[in-house]
Amino acid sequence: MTSLRVALLSSAHVHAAGWLAGLRQRAEVTVLGVADEDRARGRSFAAAQGLTWFDSYAALLAEAPDAVVINSENTRHAALVDRAADAGAHIFCEKPLATTADEARRMVARCQDAGVTLMTAFPMRFSPAVIAAREALLAGNLGRVYGCNATNQGQLPAGVPWFIDPQLAGGGALMDHVVHVADLLRWFFGSEAREVYALANRILHRELEPQVETGAVVLLDFEDGSFASIDCSWSRPPQYPTWGNVKLEIVGEGGLLTLDAFRQASTVYRRGTPGAQLAYWGSDANQGLIDDFVDSLLQGRPPAISGEDGVRASAIAEAALKSARSGEPVQL
Amino acid sequence: MRVGIVGAGFMGETHARAWAATPAQVAAIYAPREEPTRKLAQQVGASACRSLQELIDQVDVVDVCAPTDQHAAIGLQAAAAGRHLLVEKPLARKLGEGQELLQACEQAGVQLLVGHVLRFFPEYVAAQAAVTRGDIGDVAMLRLTRGSFQPWAGTAHWLTDESRSGGLVLDLMIHDFDYAQWVAGPVESVHARSVRSREAGAPGDYCLALLQHRGGAISHVEGAWAYPQPLFRTALEIAGSEGLIEQPVESTAPLDIRLVQQDAEGADIVAPTSPLAEDPFVTQMRNIHDVLADGAAPRCSAAEALAALRIALAARESARCGRPVRPDELVAEAN
Repeated sequence: MTSLRVALLSSAHVHAAGWLAGLRQRAEVTVLGVADEDRARGRSFAAAQGLTWFDSYAALLAEAPDAVVINSENTRHAALVDRAADAGAHIFCEKPLATTADEARRMVARCQDAGVTLMTAFPMRFSPAVIAAREALLAGNLGRVYGCNATNQGQLPAGVPWFIDPQLAGGGALMDHVVHVADLLRWFFGSEAREVYALANRILHRELEPQVETGAVVLLDFEDGSFASIDCSWSRPPQYPTWGNVKLEIVGEGGLLTLDAFRQASTVYRRGTPGAQLAYWGSDANQGLIDDFVDSLLQGRPPAISGEDGVRASAIAEAALKSARSGEPVQL
Repeated sequence: MRVGIVGAGFMGETHARAWAATPAQVAAIYAPREEPTRKLAQQVGASACRSLQELIDQVDVVDVCAPTDQHAAIGLQAAAAGRHLLVEKPLARKLGEGQELLQACEQAGVQLLVGHVLRFFPEYVAAQAAVTRGDIGDVAMLRLTRGSFQPWAGTAHWLTDESRSGGLVLDLMIHDFDYAQWVAGPVESVHARSVRSREAGAPGDYCLALLQHRGGAISHVEGAWAYPQPLFRTALEIAGSEGLIEQPVESTAPLDIRLVQQDAEGADIVAPTSPLAEDPFVTQMRNIHDVLADGAAPRCSAAEALAALRIALAARESARCGRPVRPDELVAEAN
């Protein structure tokens, strides 16, 4: 394969524009267009991005794309994976792959049967700071790892109400933010989580009367004996100078490793804009992820992040929701 | 007001310095080892006592800076003699000891004050005041970090013996457990993991604890005795329904001097410092003096100090058994 024809399925997720920008950096890629079951949303996205609008997924898939990028609401990933697999298209799917481990497993099996690639969108694995942290760990600089205190806190995505709709999102902050760091920890430690405990509440953004958790923290036990917490709260206020963070502080026999993946940012103050804004100047991890997807298809190799990786992370998020409801640890 | 300090180690010296800034007089020092007792007594112009009773006989207030496992016995003897008590945190090593001490002080009609000094550190006080004023609405998520190197690593110091000190969780993290309940109210359950609970001989310790507060707030408390020397870091973050307070690790030090490391063997325990007009230990002691002299309400009541001990013991128990533990359901016999 020397070129790729790619279709965007849905524009529900705030990351859709980012994936599109990444695809457009690649000369081998032709973006066919976008379809969306929310027609108003899809049309407006198409217009804003200068994309061809297709009135239905069927119409877009009839163009026989080589690959699709799924940007739908979380609980709609599975149906779109089915349709894309039926059409023989390789799949790049927004995280979380699914809102339950069972559904994620079924999606992986479906793609295997159809002989198409399924990649889960975990861009943080392509952050140079993250890669450097992993290399330090693999080099044994910390010795035996004791544990990790991580945050993936963020602003509540503004103007995208489905993020707090349990039917569409499958959960709140736990479903949105746990999977990124859960995936990094699996990748760092080379070990799987075996137990999940979580506490959650709905105090933040109370004015929206959220039916999902807006503040939450997870404690994971790994098979190798290490443990880690992830604060996934939507606890950055609207006027916060940036969208949020991905931070990991790992403590081991050899000392302390601190990783702040979005620290490479300048502080900007502008007349007429209250407060400060952080202007990120670090490398674009999203581009790395898109490049890997494109290159894996062009080169006929598996992508760096598999559907199975998506299954594992989804299982952790699902268990966290279950634990937050029951107040008990959940075994994986 | 005449004060007798029991203990002449790091905390005994710290308290002696702090008392010097109050109208009280440190009149007596007692510690089992003669040399440090004599030295500290000489520094502050107090008499060096040969027994605890000798100290009790000379003072109005007994300030217990002895190893944690001795707090209760010393406190009981002082209370029986009708002396007011200041006990360095934690209140006691065991729940039953703490309960007994509260009861004895109540019966003797003496004050029982506990040195939860974090309630006097300006950044913590300011954040607590902001929450109390309602600046950030109802607390949703409280994040607290406190870490240093392993004090007295590789020595036979009592702090390294968990049966005596309660280790990282009782000695260091209790600061933040107390602060969490001060800001977000009583704690319903604790879920924790620690290295030492899995591996008793580990060279350092690291612990993460999640607290569910009765009012709905959640606290995340991180404690470390595993950093390289001379690192000591604290961090504070409170997210509420109407706002956010951040006091990240990087900004707690307005002054940062990094010198070439000399031989770092045998490092003692340290307290976090920030250039301030008044050392928080002094602020604490001036408040304690006023409580004892004028009957003002203490910033940390004995009941709250006992509740903080319960949270810490629950964290230890949770890390041991692997399950969430309710501090209120701990039984004295087992903890």
